[in-house]
Amino acid sequence: MIRLERASLRYGDILGLSPTSFELPEGGGITGLLGPNGAGKSSLIQLLAGLLPPSGGEVNIFGEAPFRNPNVLVRIGLVPEGDRFPVGLNGTRWLRMMGELSGLSGSELDAAIQRSLLAVGMETRAQLGFSSMSKGMRQRIRMAQALLHEPDLLILDEPFNGMDPEARLNLMDLMRELSSAGKRIIVSSHILGEVAQLTERILLLFRGRLLAEGSVPEIRELLDRHPIELRVASEDVRQVARWAVEQGELVALRMDEGAAILAVRNPRDFLPKLQDAIAAGQLPLRALDPLDLNLDAVFQYLTKDNA
Amino acid sequence: MSTRAIPSPIQTMQAVARGYLPRIFQVRGWVLAAIPVVPVLLSLALTALLRVQGEHIPPALYLTAFHGVLAKFMLPIMALVAAPAGIREDIEQRTIPLMLARPSTIWMLPFGKGLLWYGWGAIWLVVACAGLLGLGSSPEGFLYQATAMVFAYWAILAFMSLLGLVFKRGTLWGALYLFIWDPLVRIFPGNLQRITFVHYIESIAGTRSSDVAASQLLAQEQITTPVGLAILILVVFGLVCWALCGWKLQATALGLAGSESEG
Repeated sequence: MIRLERASLRYGDILGLSPTSFELPEGGGITGLLGPNGAGKSSLIQLLAGLLPPSGGEVNIFGEAPFRNPNVLVRIGLVPEGDRFPVGLNGTRWLRMMGELSGLSGSELDAAIQRSLLAVGMETRAQLGFSSMSKGMRQRIRMAQALLHEPDLLILDEPFNGMDPEARLNLMDLMRELSSAGKRIIVSSHILGEVAQLTERILLLFRGRLLAEGSVPEIRELLDRHPIELRVASEDVRQVARWAVEQGELVALRMDEGAAILAVRNPRDFLPKLQDAIAAGQLPLRALDPLDLNLDAVFQYLTKDNA
Repeated sequence: MSTRAIPSPIQTMQAVARGYLPRIFQVRGWVLAAIPVVPVLLSLALTALLRVQGEHIPPALYLTAFHGVLAKFMLPIMALVAAPAGIREDIEQRTIPLMLARPSTIWMLPFGKGLLWYGWGAIWLVVACAGLLGLGSSPEGFLYQATAMVFAYWAILAFMSLLGLVFKRGTLWGALYLFIWDPLVRIFPGNLQRITFVHYIESIAGTRSSDVAASQLLAQEQITTPVGLAILILVVFGLVCWALCGWKLQATALGLAGSESEG
């Protein structure tokens, strides 16, 4: 259904995406595109959505190249990142135009607009002009336009940006619903937790190349190999240090003012042990702060690891 | 699997024109309407005032208003105001990727949006020409003047839209063409006059205004193109420009830009 064969994308001299190959099967499911800013997620999305042709290699969606190909584009819905809308139009007017540009008309178009607005919870506010809408509302309208023509492949670039928690949960529910109805969804994010709530399959991108591909547990396992740093503040730092060196997950230890900085692998194994030790009164803990849990640090580590 | 129909070129054109219809009733649309109408209204008000005061009104005032104001300044300004509101606006606003990701006929998008601004501008050009009747123009003169304006606007708007798609500073190049090259028609010898819009406007609408006197140092003899042929040339030129706009958009890979493509 989706096949990339050494597909790459260049912006002049800048390589947006290194030659990348992967395949996603026919049928429903959610695939997460995970990577920090500048990883190549949007480059990949632009190739998949047919906005740009590959600079090298091949992109095949439903058996055909998507760039300027109406037969493919009619089966794709795109929600790009960014808060861009045509000035001077309101939601309904714009959706109507987008629907017509997707081949809908008459009562079928009216029904599609109603259905899409209902799905994103905007059925009573779509008449507002874009300038009068909140960022979250505009994001929902953007989502609605992608659903209008009931695409088989839905591509969402950072769809949760600007959404309040409730809207975020609703969107996740909607995506699960669409996935179980047989739609293939590709969703990009730089937040692992967000993607992990949604998907069984992740593509990990970093600095324009596909770093890893697999299920969430597989990726988690890969990420677990990255030692995270924890700052454990305590009245008795030496006791914390003594306890820590007995743990198999400890990779490095250094002392700071009133705290021990622990570098540990497999934090999901280590943290329950730490919790138990505190509960048993073995460690007089004052505070616990993770120092480098951001995704960039993990990706930096993985890149070095892969090299 | 979707079995959705792919929109035809005509459906694409209709969708874009309908979708952007509210835009012509907003500030830019009313500015566009005011450009040809306000000078004519002011002229009418001024002549009415002069008549009340018993002053002599030159009988060919409408010719000066048409050739010296409407054709020379207002028409090019209208094209320069309307063209950036066409598909160029979607490129600058970065809303174009959402249209390009649709299964529509991409080459029809510039024409669909341009048609809207063409239609709106043409209406007000006709209104402005009708106003010239109050300045002494005849019904027959009105017919030719309105025809000249409507077809010249078609060609000029298409040309400006093309410049806007080809060049980053298309409006600037357009302004240079319209305000520097076109007026040179007065000193262009023979067939060189045929590569100006003014030539076709004057061929359709009749005599030049009185501001072009034979005494001008470099003035050349005016050549004319038969009315029917002049109209045909403007129509064909406009169509060619719209086709080139469509080709340019179809052939140019326009992706997300700025922060949207950082990831």
